[in-house]
Amino acid sequence: MAKRRFAYTCSLTSTAAVLLASVAVSTLAPAQTRGPTDPGVRSGAAGAGGAYPGLAADQRAFFDAAKDAFEEVDGVPEGLGPRFNLDSCVGCHSQPATGGSAPAVNPQVDVALAAKNTVPPFITRNGPVREARFVRNRDGSPDGGVHALFVIAGRADAQGCNIRQPDFAGELSRNNVVFRIPTPTFGLGLVESTTDRALETSLAANGDQKRALGISGRFNRSGNDGTITRFGWKAQNKSLLMFAGEAYNVEVGVTNDLFPNERENDPSCQFNHTHPESPTPLTPTELAATSQAAGFQSDIALFAAFMRLLAPPAPAGTTATAAASTTNTTASATTTTADTTASTSVLAAAAGTTSTATTSSTTSTTTTVDRGRQVFGNIGCSACHTRRLTSGPADVAALGNQTYEPFSDFAVHDMGDRLADGVAQGGAGGREFRTAPLWGVGQRVFFLHDGRTNDLNEAIAQHASRGSEANTVVQNYNALPLNDRQAVLNFLRSL
Amino acid sequence: MRRLLHIVAVACVAGSLAIVLAWRYGETVLPFAVTSATPNPQDGKVAGGVYSNAYFDLSYPLPQGFVEGLAGPDPSDSGYYVLGNFVPQAAPTGTILIAAQDLFFAGPHRDVAAAAREFREAISQVEGMSIDREPTEVTIGNRSAWRVDFSGVGLYRAMVATEIRCHLVSVTLTTRSPDEREALVQSLDRLASIGKRAAPVCIRDYAAGEQVVHKVEPAELSSSPMAIPVRIIINGDGTVKHVHVIRAAEAQRKTIEEALRQWTFKPHTIAGQPVQMETGLAFGGSRKVSGADGESGAERDTSPAQRRARRGGGQSPQ
Repeated sequence: MAKRRFAYTCSLTSTAAVLLASVAVSTLAPAQTRGPTDPGVRSGAAGAGGAYPGLAADQRAFFDAAKDAFEEVDGVPEGLGPRFNLDSCVGCHSQPATGGSAPAVNPQVDVALAAKNTVPPFITRNGPVREARFVRNRDGSPDGGVHALFVIAGRADAQGCNIRQPDFAGELSRNNVVFRIPTPTFGLGLVESTTDRALETSLAANGDQKRALGISGRFNRSGNDGTITRFGWKAQNKSLLMFAGEAYNVEVGVTNDLFPNERENDPSCQFNHTHPESPTPLTPTELAATSQAAGFQSDIALFAAFMRLLAPPAPAGTTATAAASTTNTTASATTTTADTTASTSVLAAAAGTTSTATTSSTTSTTTTVDRGRQVFGNIGCSACHTRRLTSGPADVAALGNQTYEPFSDFAVHDMGDRLADGVAQGGAGGREFRTAPLWGVGQRVFFLHDGRTNDLNEAIAQHASRGSEANTVVQNYNALPLNDRQAVLNFLRSL
Repeated sequence: MRRLLHIVAVACVAGSLAIVLAWRYGETVLPFAVTSATPNPQDGKVAGGVYSNAYFDLSYPLPQGFVEGLAGPDPSDSGYYVLGNFVPQAAPTGTILIAAQDLFFAGPHRDVAAAAREFREAISQVEGMSIDREPTEVTIGNRSAWRVDFSGVGLYRAMVATEIRCHLVSVTLTTRSPDEREALVQSLDRLASIGKRAAPVCIRDYAAGEQVVHKVEPAELSSSPMAIPVRIIINGDGTVKHVHVIRAAEAQRKTIEEALRQWTFKPHTIAGQPVQMETGLAFGGSRKVSGADGESGAERDTSPAQRRARRGGGQSPQ
């Protein structure tokens, strides 16, 4: 009997021990593997969307008129389609303000359904605005071009048009579809005004640091004149005007002075007989009421001007004025001010607190953002996400000789197999992408070229894969303690 | 029948011997050496826990617990190679990065000491970075090298660099403590020579100017905006033995190889004896940026509007 009781007691004890161990393991394991948490889109007012500070009155009026054009919604009579991805510039470029990137709620769904399109599975209401490219043609030759998602067939203003959408289901089954989301356009006047020499000097300046991190990088260049191209996910576009002209034709389907040809020539879908559909006006448009000069500009010239005169995103707690400083200003003083205020705001956002947060938590937040900036530079992120550049002479005086903080070297880098899209553009190959400027990243919803994640920590992880120049930097990031990785994310959300 | 078998056997032995000789001494004694026997910088590999690179004549037994990490990018168009990336198998506590920069394509020549000093200056500019050891000449695996230690945000790092075949070969070590860093640096003492090949001498810009006796321009490269770096090995008789197009599209690579194999050079001699040598040259790169940005000069600093105003009435002179 005693033996049986002893055995029973042992059995109970063993079971309890196993249960306790299981609980302990299940409790501890997540703590050991827990990663940092993306604080999410920074709350508060949009730190972007306004005109560049210091514009003259007539330039400011031109900006206002250009912004109206950028926000205009096109129907078929204005040139929409026959194939298109969305019906306005602002539809894609709206987060956190006009000119930005993909918004949290995708407007493509409603626009598609209005024209009786089938919404492809990679377009969802809560997903990013996307365009689709096919990697290869049916014969195996390289494609890489944009295949517009939607058609105007079925719209009230396109009676008789019967073209169909591309066979996305078939192409998806062949693993032949890759995506791009809209790039933010804030501050691009400064980027356009930066000389090739300044970019080359900047890329070379930390060359030794790059080489110790496995990084090289190179500029994409125009096949026409050999100069640096710098706009778009692969830095494939030479100028803002080219960027605007291509997008107006490829994304909205409106032919223009730079891209005068329809991409779909089915005669049943040609409703406009002007050529191009959006020409340079020879008589003033209604925009002349806002700006006399704007009244004589083509749409694409207005779009380019809007992007050119659009202020850079302001980090948390700063104003657009502080986002760029003249070279005559003491850069360190300006930076210190911006960083301090940024830290205060982002900590509240990062911690989910409000502006009434206690002094101690604010101080704590400030500390983590400052620490995050230091870690960001120290582990090598800033080798490519270069903090500062200086613009050159500019026709718009306010844009000339300005030190600004895009957090990009505007070079293309090999990003490895995981991010590869197999599309070559200019000199950029299928695995190469331009260093995405990180200014404004604190208020962005989707990350990476195809918007595959809305989690900054995951975006960092995606930088590492076979063939990527970022492998060593990501390894450095992974070697950090949790609080330092969290500080990096907090810092990024302060931008 | 027996005679036929005898002939076949002798042919097999002779063929095998030729292959072995071509592989072992191909660069120095056999004029017909096969290209596949000529290694390139990126051809290193790990076998049995040892990283070996025939081009740089290097052998490095990995520290215990380290394995190959993710492979790096393809060689760059500035002649930069990520040769190896090694990480601890257990946890992400450090890295060993072996890289090489072709000195023919990295701007003006600088020796290892100068490179180490410039690296030190660059790294000291990084916010929060401390220099723990100033550039110091050291010996690793019987080679002269330069070492710089630095640290920040809890990561302790060292960069050790040496020059081999006109490449700056560097090993960057990242750890989480000074002791771990020192242990990894000590592991570099086990760097050894593979000892299989005699490397040709390397000379910058030998393919430019009067050394070239005969050249054939590659077809259809004139419009390439991206520079294409190439290394070639030239035989003692002035013919091209090996072409290594460092980075290019496949079609470009093919046309460059075809053209360069037809080039001939004046033989390079040492003590009166012709010897193999290697050099570098670049194709393409249509950019003409330097000095053309208008960053200086009063005329270029003014806006078009100002220039129109100076000309009067906005009239074009043409």
